[in-house]
Amino acid sequence: MANIEKQRAIIDFTLASLMRRKGKNAALLVVYTLVVAALASVMFLTKSIRSEAAAVLVDAPELVVQRMVAGRHEMIPLSYVEKIASIRGVKSVRGRLWGYYYDPVFGSNYTLLVPQESPPEEGKVAVGQGVARSALAEVDNIMPFRTNQGALFTLTVARVLPAGTELVSSDLVLLSAGDFKTLFGIPDGMATDLVAEVSNLSEIPTIAAKIARLLPDTRPIARDEILRTYDAIFNWRSGILLAILSGALLAFFIFAWDKATGLSAEERREIGILKAIGWDVGDVLMMKLWEGAALSLTAFVTGVILAWLHVFAGGAALFVPVLKGWSVLYPAFRLTPSIDLMQLAVLFFLTVIPYTVATIVPCWRAATAAPDSVMRG
Amino acid sequence: MIVLNQVSKVFNKGRQNEFVSLREISIMIPRQQVTVLKGPSGSGKTTLLSIIGGMSRPTSGRVTLDGRETTSLPERFLAALRRETFGFIFQQFNLINGISILENVMLPAVPNGERHATLKGRALELLAMFGLEARAATRVELLSGGEMQRVAIARALINNPRVIIADEPTAHLDSKLSGELITIMERLKQEGRTIIMASHDPLVCNAGVVDNLVEIRDGEIRDSAPAQ
Repeated sequence: MANIEKQRAIIDFTLASLMRRKGKNAALLVVYTLVVAALASVMFLTKSIRSEAAAVLVDAPELVVQRMVAGRHEMIPLSYVEKIASIRGVKSVRGRLWGYYYDPVFGSNYTLLVPQESPPEEGKVAVGQGVARSALAEVDNIMPFRTNQGALFTLTVARVLPAGTELVSSDLVLLSAGDFKTLFGIPDGMATDLVAEVSNLSEIPTIAAKIARLLPDTRPIARDEILRTYDAIFNWRSGILLAILSGALLAFFIFAWDKATGLSAEERREIGILKAIGWDVGDVLMMKLWEGAALSLTAFVTGVILAWLHVFAGGAALFVPVLKGWSVLYPAFRLTPSIDLMQLAVLFFLTVIPYTVATIVPCWRAATAAPDSVMRG
Repeated sequence: MIVLNQVSKVFNKGRQNEFVSLREISIMIPRQQVTVLKGPSGSGKTTLLSIIGGMSRPTSGRVTLDGRETTSLPERFLAALRRETFGFIFQQFNLINGISILENVMLPAVPNGERHATLKGRALELLAMFGLEARAATRVELLSGGEMQRVAIARALINNPRVIIADEPTAHLDSKLSGELITIMERLKQEGRTIIMASHDPLVCNAGVVDNLVEIRDGEIRDSAPAQ
């Protein structure tokens, strides 16, 4: 109990001390907070973008087979379906029709997809919220398209997809297979790619190798490979940003080190007074520890909150041009808060702990000196 | 009783700028009396006070307080001794700027772990005793010299010390305030405290409250006698 009261009294004095040097401490707090906010923003943004990408891919097929011609993705004949289905371990194979369409009227890119289950009737489309917004389309409105021959091709909006699926459906236009083929001039018997389901997930690499041997002009892509690619891309991007920010971090460390390690004559005098009136070295160090902790914890918590607001409420306006832009992510969506506690812990140990320790070292030197200097004024 | 036995203090020992501040000082300071260390500037009064008060250690010799040797105590115990046994009144007051009178007075008791409300109550009582209760929340740098002096005394008394050590307590005071200080010292003596002051101010040295006068010059005791 006495120790709690003692710590409380030391904290009272520490806070009063901090308030005395308002300007200096406020400047430090602002810089410190901004550094934490910048680093935490990169961490939050990277983590949540990766989570978004993972969420997008969670329903992705286990194995996608694309046809390659001269190193480019080409339409694939549906005759490949049977060949792949004959491989042991393959549960099912089907062709997919999908592609991108640029609408020059509204300057938007749409993803056109023929759904496997209950596709719209001929002449009808279902559109995502983003498409509905950008094309000002409502149910029963007509959406004009241009075919690959340049002819006008109109489809009627049958429904707008619910807002809850916006992340994965914002730019989506669902249409029938016939309309898709008409629009892009795709002959019968061709698909954009094939998707395969396998009985045992651990067999995917083997099956992929068999497909590549059986159909040398194809490229099988496993879901895990796509995830790994995204991970690598976002790690690389956040690495670049962190490298840029490391300059700011270094400047902050120099500033903080200077502030923390250099005791002013006034501070030395005060330590002398405290020792003379009966504080021991431990009490003085405890005071400095609380001072460093109060300042750095405030900066840490404020910085993390600012980063949260920046990334999840402000759309990470400062960093998004560098970190986003991967084609799987739709042009406009709100990031779902996703935080890696381990990363936060690393940030904590990289900022709060060194600063707090740095404040104690010079104080320890001053506090271990004999207090009689104060007797001499 | 405080006993100093062959106490010497040498600064920068073994270096070119070695300076002997005290030479084999041996004195006895009786309890519950007022003892004044008298001498010119640089005579070693302040060094002697800081050794008696446990703020620095002698180069040689021993100091005992009521029979207990203090010179070889570890730093932690020495800090406790300073806090619990001695109350210090410094020449420059040495108050901490930027915080209130009340906070300054409470500071020496912080390491004791006393309940905040109790400690605050005691500090306010002390301030009331010196007529400063109404100004408890005032920052110390806004005080007059006399008020600072009284705050410094209140701070010295917060842990109810047996011994008051005052270094040139009238150095920054006019005659009226010096008179007030001597009155306060009389009161503290009546309360049974031992008072040790360093001064070359005749107002202090010739005050009726003084029991013993120890004259120091060049780090040596020239004369030690009961005051006239």
